[in-house]
Amino acid sequence: MSGSKAVAGATPDEPREPAVPGSSGMSLACADVSFSYEEARAPIPAVRDVSFELPAGGSLALMGASGSGKSTLLQVVRGLDAPDTGAVLLDGAAPVDAGYAALQREVGLVFQAPELQLFAATAREDVAFGPRRLGWPEEQVTAAVDTALDVVGLPPAHFAERHPYSLSGGEQRRLALAGVLAMRPRLLLLDEPFVSLDPGTRRQLVGILERLKAAGVTLLLATHDVDLAWALCDELLVLGEGRLVAAGPWDFSTAGGRLLAENRLREPFFVELWRRLGRDPQRAPRSASAAAEALS
Amino acid sequence: MKATIAQYYAGDSLLHRLDPRAKFVAVSALAVALFVRDSFAGLAVYAAAAVLAYALSGVPVAWFWRAFRPLLWLVALTFVAQVVFAPGDPFFSFWFIHLSWRGLELAAFLSLRLVVLVLVGSVLTLTTPSMALTDGLAWLGRPLRRLRVPTDELALMVTIALRFIPTLLVELDTIMRAQRARGADFRHGGLGERTRSLVPVLVPLFVLSFRRADELALAMEARCYRPGAVRTRLHPLRAGWSDFALLVVTAAVIAAGLLV
Repeated sequence: MSGSKAVAGATPDEPREPAVPGSSGMSLACADVSFSYEEARAPIPAVRDVSFELPAGGSLALMGASGSGKSTLLQVVRGLDAPDTGAVLLDGAAPVDAGYAALQREVGLVFQAPELQLFAATAREDVAFGPRRLGWPEEQVTAAVDTALDVVGLPPAHFAERHPYSLSGGEQRRLALAGVLAMRPRLLLLDEPFVSLDPGTRRQLVGILERLKAAGVTLLLATHDVDLAWALCDELLVLGEGRLVAAGPWDFSTAGGRLLAENRLREPFFVELWRRLGRDPQRAPRSASAAAEALS
Repeated sequence: MKATIAQYYAGDSLLHRLDPRAKFVAVSALAVALFVRDSFAGLAVYAAAAVLAYALSGVPVAWFWRAFRPLLWLVALTFVAQVVFAPGDPFFSFWFIHLSWRGLELAAFLSLRLVVLVLVGSVLTLTTPSMALTDGLAWLGRPLRRLRVPTDELALMVTIALRFIPTLLVELDTIMRAQRARGADFRHGGLGERTRSLVPVLVPLFVLSFRRADELALAMEARCYRPGAVRTRLHPLRAGWSDFALLVVTAAVIAAGLLV
């Protein structure tokens, strides 16, 4: 822990363990966080009094109808917007504490359609942007870029020197993810990472996120896709009009089902299947292989 | 988003309902008269007309003030430049500064004229949506089509450009946020450093804009847009008696300003 903090700071002397495998996740807590957008006529509240905790290495699905405040909450957690009230605690540290800025730099945020933000002439240069901004020595930047490209399934030997815009849509999305992973985040925030991906790329991306999770990276995933949320995340947080509607373990009781429906969500496929098979939906499998194992 | 200079204020005043062509002609004529007439009396007449028009528009003072405030430094600059450099018998001299009553008078006149000009111009843009203004200008530019100037196409270009400014601003904001999340810093460093820091923002913005333009062109063609073809409008411009009245009143005001 202390080593990784030192590297994320202004003087990165020691090389850091790669994010994958085996880095320690960061814990996150939001305490009464509110945020409003300033508009010409009146401020528009986007997040209102949201409190939740996400332990280090945990995974949380952030769900809710369009416009419920998911993207705003992610940007507030990353520190791109300061909350109007309340605080975002990283590893228990508050914004006033020393070292908070260094902790913020260990929070990775993958925007919606991040491929739209690619700018460099080669894949390597684009991925290296973040690590260089962290002030890492060049050999460490190269190592981080190579690892990140490997992690997202774009082997550097084939992809590092390609022009980002010559890649396919799915490859561009993974390249943009590599640009965030190269900074070795311990808490990874993803905003609708699966939107407009073909099924093959989607599956690849799920695999990447599963490996990051297994490596201990804390995941906060905003998505509309209940099946992928169920596959990847231990817990669920539902936002409705900026307010926290529910937070905690998945709940498929009658009340839990009603809550999902009220927020334009539905039960994951395997949960519904388990219910229809007369089995306990709370113990539904999270993947096809787990389902096959349970059913055979 | 901040109000840009004299941004349209949605309303339903008499001025909002007037034909954009009539408003444009009236405002242009007033602007010319403002520059032709150089006496305080004439300026007072035009200022009174501008204030009256502004009061009729029903635009809140705060809305106007926010748009006008950035122009204050221009007014101040005009004033100072005139005071310092104007000819006349100085009653006070220090180094290159020579204050004269003639200079002060000229400075006051020119600054006031600028204020009235901005007021007159902003009444037009505050009460006319940019699309209507473009339509009006296209109509007024029609004689140029005899010289093979594609006025309708130019008007469409301006309309599309205006339409996409808010969209591009939102995209610019998103890209800047994304690069900030990767450690980009747009606020610190020297001029060169800050210019370089814009590369990760401008490249994606250009790529996105070209892609969007391409898609828009395809979508327009798919909906049978042909350059040069005669196009009809959903809201054809219709001038009425009130527009005629506006031109008569404006002519009267201009004449009054020239004669006092």
